[in-house]
Amino acid sequence: MPFTAKPIIGGDAFDQACRIGLDADAELAGIADAAEQAACLRRYWDAIAELGWITTAIAEDAGGAGGDLSDLAALAGGAGRGGLPLPVVASCAVLPHLLAEHAEVLTALAEGRFRIALIPAEAARDDEADALHLDGGRLTGAAVGIETPPDPTHALVVLGDALLLVAADAPGVALTRYQRIDGKPAADWRFTGAAASVIARGDAVLRRAAEARDIGALLTCVESVSAAGALIEQTIEYLLNRVQFGVPLATHQALRHRVAEMYVEYENLRGLVTHALRSAASGGPVVWRDIAFAKLRLGEAGRFIAQSTIQCHGGMGMTEGLQAIRLARRIMMAEFEYGDRSVQARRLLDDAARRAA
Amino acid sequence: MVDYNAFREEVRDFAMTRCPPNIRAVVATYRKLSRKVWYPWQKILFEHGWGAPGWPREYGGTGWDLKQRHIFDEVMAECDCPPQYHHGLRHLGPVIIEYGSEEQKQRFLPRILSGEDWWCQGYSEPNAGSDLASLRTAARREGGDYIVEGQKTWTSHAQEADWMYTLVRTSKEAKKQQGISLLLIPLNSPGITIRPIRTIDGWHHVNEVFLDNVRVPVANRVGEEGQGWTYGKFLLERERLGGANVAPAMKHLERTRALLAQELAAPRHAMKRSLLEERLLMAEAELRGAQALGQEAVAATMEDRSLGLLPSVLKLSTSVTSQHVGEIALDAVGERLAPRFRPTDAAGANAEAPGIEWVQNYMYGRVRTIYGGSSEVQKNVIAKQLFGI
Repeated sequence: MPFTAKPIIGGDAFDQACRIGLDADAELAGIADAAEQAACLRRYWDAIAELGWITTAIAEDAGGAGGDLSDLAALAGGAGRGGLPLPVVASCAVLPHLLAEHAEVLTALAEGRFRIALIPAEAARDDEADALHLDGGRLTGAAVGIETPPDPTHALVVLGDALLLVAADAPGVALTRYQRIDGKPAADWRFTGAAASVIARGDAVLRRAAEARDIGALLTCVESVSAAGALIEQTIEYLLNRVQFGVPLATHQALRHRVAEMYVEYENLRGLVTHALRSAASGGPVVWRDIAFAKLRLGEAGRFIAQSTIQCHGGMGMTEGLQAIRLARRIMMAEFEYGDRSVQARRLLDDAARRAA
Repeated sequence: MVDYNAFREEVRDFAMTRCPPNIRAVVATYRKLSRKVWYPWQKILFEHGWGAPGWPREYGGTGWDLKQRHIFDEVMAECDCPPQYHHGLRHLGPVIIEYGSEEQKQRFLPRILSGEDWWCQGYSEPNAGSDLASLRTAARREGGDYIVEGQKTWTSHAQEADWMYTLVRTSKEAKKQQGISLLLIPLNSPGITIRPIRTIDGWHHVNEVFLDNVRVPVANRVGEEGQGWTYGKFLLERERLGGANVAPAMKHLERTRALLAQELAAPRHAMKRSLLEERLLMAEAELRGAQALGQEAVAATMEDRSLGLLPSVLKLSTSVTSQHVGEIALDAVGERLAPRFRPTDAAGANAEAPGIEWVQNYMYGRVRTIYGGSSEVQKNVIAKQLFGI
């Protein structure tokens, strides 16, 4: 019996997220037109909002399901395995954490009335002159490659110690929408004196933004581990069935060893992410460090597993036709979410230097 | 219910107060461990009742559970105490306890426990390395004795050991795993020649052992004739959790971090230092992953769950990462120290430049992916399980 990956956190939520992910991925793969794809993504988005995913970790007295990190991990894991190209981690975990004290916006998010894109403090820009700045309640600047729900209604912007909400259809807001390389919807946001409402300001914003980013990084790791497990399964399946020179590719030691190496990297990453998840659930003082190490490792191990999947599939690995390859692109993209390797390494090295001093 | 935190503190306190500083310094600076260093430490442990953490109480063991043993090993590494000399305590001892005669238990176990007897392992042969069952050293019966003829190799510590537990072929069977027996051979027996092997690290640890018509009493055979492979496997099964202890590798990493700070403090080394620190951080992330898996392995064993592929994964992961760490240390000191590897005007094999151990340790580290089931063998094992064929 070939390898089957076990979820870090399994259960009904995992299974549901995985099923919806597989359905969406399969349906999207059959659509060539970009506008039709966007419409399809919107239907799936409405479906998961209807199912209450966004309320998962919102407190019960705020109208949520009152779930915890492991409920979110089940969702993220399922979505990762199914390859669901929607901002699950951002919408179900990161935004609710940022908005925890802002009942009105939170409720609108939970009910699906607001479809919010998060523009983090460290958002990318094409030009340094585009740095976001606030002037008399007016926001100017740009942020590019922002993961964005289908048909976004708002952007939530972390700017310094301020948390801003900007309506997508407000004057002075220009959006260029894309599909990312992993199929998720994204957009470039350009603000030209757009009206922004400051919904919070101060140290609490900084603290919450840092926590939210770590939650995002951790759940992105969970999502990617889950996708990586599926990649190993599908690579094994392919090698067992693909016959060349009269024998299945799975008989070649070079390929078997490559898969063994993928598995070792996968296990190592899974161990680290599971540990970080446990650490975050129990809330120790070094949670951020466990998460930073996990995200750092994701950059290495995830990349290796994704690249090996492409390599082991030969020419087929260069096509968009296989789910394994689409998942490989998802893992590659995960590196750039919530702090890449350089960001995590910087934090950890600074911390080591501080402790040595 | 054991209070593991209290236990950890007790072990730490013992390690820090009772392990002599000169012994800990040997570990901390990677100098070669030898019987001279190990024996006094084993004696201290023995006198405290901690001589054999892994043995049952009735044979002088501690009766600790697996997690306590794991904690003990971890703390020892964290405190720079030598890992206990394993051949008697971890390898042969458990085999004698499980399969040995009453007379053998009386005769050998107490002297292993106290550290009076030093054992080495006669397994590998020139043509039986990873493929151990191909061994050819033969023992034929002559009255109450076996006459042993053949050659062993990679025999660690034979130069300072009293005894060698030895796998020998007592009959030729269809299956090469059959017809193997386990003999306990005193190394001062007539007919034994021990020759050092010069290894790439410049340390003397392994030897060739030649057995030329060596007479061994039948009473020195453990268990049944022809069942040696079973006993050998029993020993390896017990060692499967060995890789779960990542603490020595973590300690190695911390020492290397301190080395970078010290060796590369000058401003002209700023770039080199920052590059090496970043590589070290990547290695730390990997080691932390292995550490988490090690904890999973200990928990699984405590709960009697199957370990599956964890031992192979741990072996592969930890060995490669340890090599990376060794390489980073080498890169820090190599320009200054690697040229001074071995003095040409001294007869001894060991170099004397202070800090040369970093270079030796790097070289020694290459063995981690070779011994105990090479990386390639581990990958075969993993692939077979993953592919189901």
